[in-house]
Amino acid sequence: MSRFIRWQGIAGFMVIMALIITFVYLFADALVKKGIEKSGEVYLGAEVNVTNVEILYAPLTLNIEGFQATDPKKPTHNLVSFSQASAGVDVWQYLFGKLHISELNVVGLRIDQPRQSAGEVFFLADDVTNNGEEGAIDSALSNFDMSLPKVDDLLNNSDLLTVKRGKALEQSYQAEMEKLKGLNKTLPNKDSLARYKEQVSALSKTKIKSLADLEKLNTDFKVLKKQFQADRAIVKQAKQQVTASKEILTKQTIALKNAPQADWKNIESKYQLEDVDGGDFAHMLFGEQAREYFGYADSVYQKVAPLVNSSNKDKQNADKQATLAKNKGRYVHFNDEEPMPDVLIEQANFSLLLAQGEFAISGTELTHQHWMRGKNSVVNVESDNIQGAGKLALALEFSLDKEQVLSSDGKWQLDQVRLKDVALQKSSAFNLQLNSGILAGDGTFSILDGQLDSLTQLNLEKTQYSGAGTSNLSTLFIDTVQSLKTLALTITAKGKMTDPEFSISSPLDKQLKKSMMKQVSNKLTSFKTDIKAGLNAKLTDALGVSSKEGQSFVDLEAVVNDTDKALENLMNSDVVKAKKKEFEDKQKKKLEDKLKKKLGKLFG
Amino acid sequence: MLTLLAKLLNALNSESSTRQISLAIAIGFIVGLSPLLTLHNIVLLFLVLFLRVNIGGFILALGFFKGLSYLLSSLIVSVGESLLSAESLQSLFNTLYQFSIFKLAHLHHTYTLGALVLGCLLAIPLYFMCNFLIEKYRLHIKTFFEKFRIVKALKASKFYSVYCQVSGQGGIS
Repeated sequence: MSRFIRWQGIAGFMVIMALIITFVYLFADALVKKGIEKSGEVYLGAEVNVTNVEILYAPLTLNIEGFQATDPKKPTHNLVSFSQASAGVDVWQYLFGKLHISELNVVGLRIDQPRQSAGEVFFLADDVTNNGEEGAIDSALSNFDMSLPKVDDLLNNSDLLTVKRGKALEQSYQAEMEKLKGLNKTLPNKDSLARYKEQVSALSKTKIKSLADLEKLNTDFKVLKKQFQADRAIVKQAKQQVTASKEILTKQTIALKNAPQADWKNIESKYQLEDVDGGDFAHMLFGEQAREYFGYADSVYQKVAPLVNSSNKDKQNADKQATLAKNKGRYVHFNDEEPMPDVLIEQANFSLLLAQGEFAISGTELTHQHWMRGKNSVVNVESDNIQGAGKLALALEFSLDKEQVLSSDGKWQLDQVRLKDVALQKSSAFNLQLNSGILAGDGTFSILDGQLDSLTQLNLEKTQYSGAGTSNLSTLFIDTVQSLKTLALTITAKGKMTDPEFSISSPLDKQLKKSMMKQVSNKLTSFKTDIKAGLNAKLTDALGVSSKEGQSFVDLEAVVNDTDKALENLMNSDVVKAKKKEFEDKQKKKLEDKLKKKLGKLFG
Repeated sequence: MLTLLAKLLNALNSESSTRQISLAIAIGFIVGLSPLLTLHNIVLLFLVLFLRVNIGGFILALGFFKGLSYLLSSLIVSVGESLLSAESLQSLFNTLYQFSIFKLAHLHHTYTLGALVLGCLLAIPLYFMCNFLIEKYRLHIKTFFEKFRIVKALKASKFYSVYCQVSGQGGIS
């Protein structure tokens, strides 16, 4: 037996096991601390610090003190930090490859707090795409200010269609006239026609004494006819050119007549004269901030989503997770008598400290595999010291199904929140600040399959604003806002959670529109009249020039037609026929006379 | 490191039987492929210490195959993945999953199961291959290499003196 067995090996095994256990016991705190720091740094791409980690073994509890995660986009600040956290971990489930925390308490949770020294940044996550809302009001107001430039400047713009098409018509007239004049030179002139008439007349006066004379007349007339036919071919060509030119010029004249209308439309669109009527001022004023808050919620969601293997179907993330699973493997869980999620926090309590106040956040059944225990995660947020004495109550439930589809709904209520020095707009057009006001509101939201449906109603009272504008219009805008003592806003956000469609409505829109339109309507009407008059004048000028050219075009057309008619008449002259008839009559009479003479002698 | 290497060479040339060294390498292979702190590795460690297998050979094999496991990780995971997701094995794994020891051994993890199965399957041919190679080494290769001048030079080196101390030969022969 001793040939195969080494009894002292048992002692060796015990020693090795004891060494491993001692090592873990002595260095577990440091190892976990390092593990938290390193994994946090890998995930965030910036320095993560933990002051101390303590592990208690009965029951297994992890205590973390002084956690700080650097914001990779702002290394002087922490993305998140907390003073203390404790988590009671189920050892048995942990050994099975599951993380089951019975109670998690996080105290002194803070967001965006300055660090004592700037944290190291290893890599930057993808930038959040600009939502394009920034500066909307700036461009809207500055564009409208631009919409009333000098009328003369606008009318002298060579890009106006009326000017362009007028010039084009004039050029076309000249080009077509050149062509016609060229043809006109080849046409038989009046002298030629008179000569033709004389020739025909001379032929008609020819005395026909014999058939030979008649034959000669016929030959001479045929020679003349050939000449007429050649001339008529030239005339026909000229007529075709006249028709083609007429078509071109008619089209261009119609285009010119429509040009002033098209020019006005362009001016309206370029200077946004139409948009003033539908000015969505509340959206322009508050949309950017609403998007900012939703954007923050979205960025938190995007950070948390990969951790809980959420419904994020982003290909890059999916690929990354697939590669990780391919190299490191994964747990495959089968049906259990008492199914447990891979990660579960039964009860969590956070104390969140923000500049606005202290928030108590509690959560139960926090997991990403809700179907296993058939319970939804429930989160409650409460505060009674927002900006002084403001109150907040938020309750939300959420769950993920087996297909990782997120369903969530919640409601919140806000009351007596004092706002102070809130910058509403900082743009080149104007600055507007809410100096003070009391905010109240409530809202509901739901998420199903990545689709958000949210309704927020806010009411601002006892408002005081300050601001300055760089133009008459922006000053007017500020004056109108300052005259309002209350402000109600209804914000809806619907559609894809990562990019919802916002709709912000408020009585502010009507009030602002009314006062602004009153101010600008006179100026706008006068501007419209001047521009339209100027465009019509340009049209008249262009058509006037064309009408002179047009007269000579008509004269030329008449000449061509007259020549054609004259040649046709000449060609159709009955000279030969008439002479032939005359000769036949003469011969007939001669025969009759001769016959009479002979019969007179016979019967006489 | 020099001592450890010397121990292996000593093991290869010592009285340790070919089978003892081969078994140590085969077990080192199974342990090397798997994640270090798993239940089956603790059992295998116990076997290495309890049975008369060559410990030096085991440690060297463990180090070598641990390095090799990084290159084979995707193969190991795919073996585990195909086993754990095979339709025909679902009822077996479902039954095993009800035992805590199965979960404690992390055999429901694709990497751990893949490494254990691949390790056990390949350990058998590896055992016989090592047997064959060690015998060949002892018979031919050692004698063949000893003829070279460079080997003679090596025998005069510090490493060789360490080797001699480990093997208990006490000096250059």
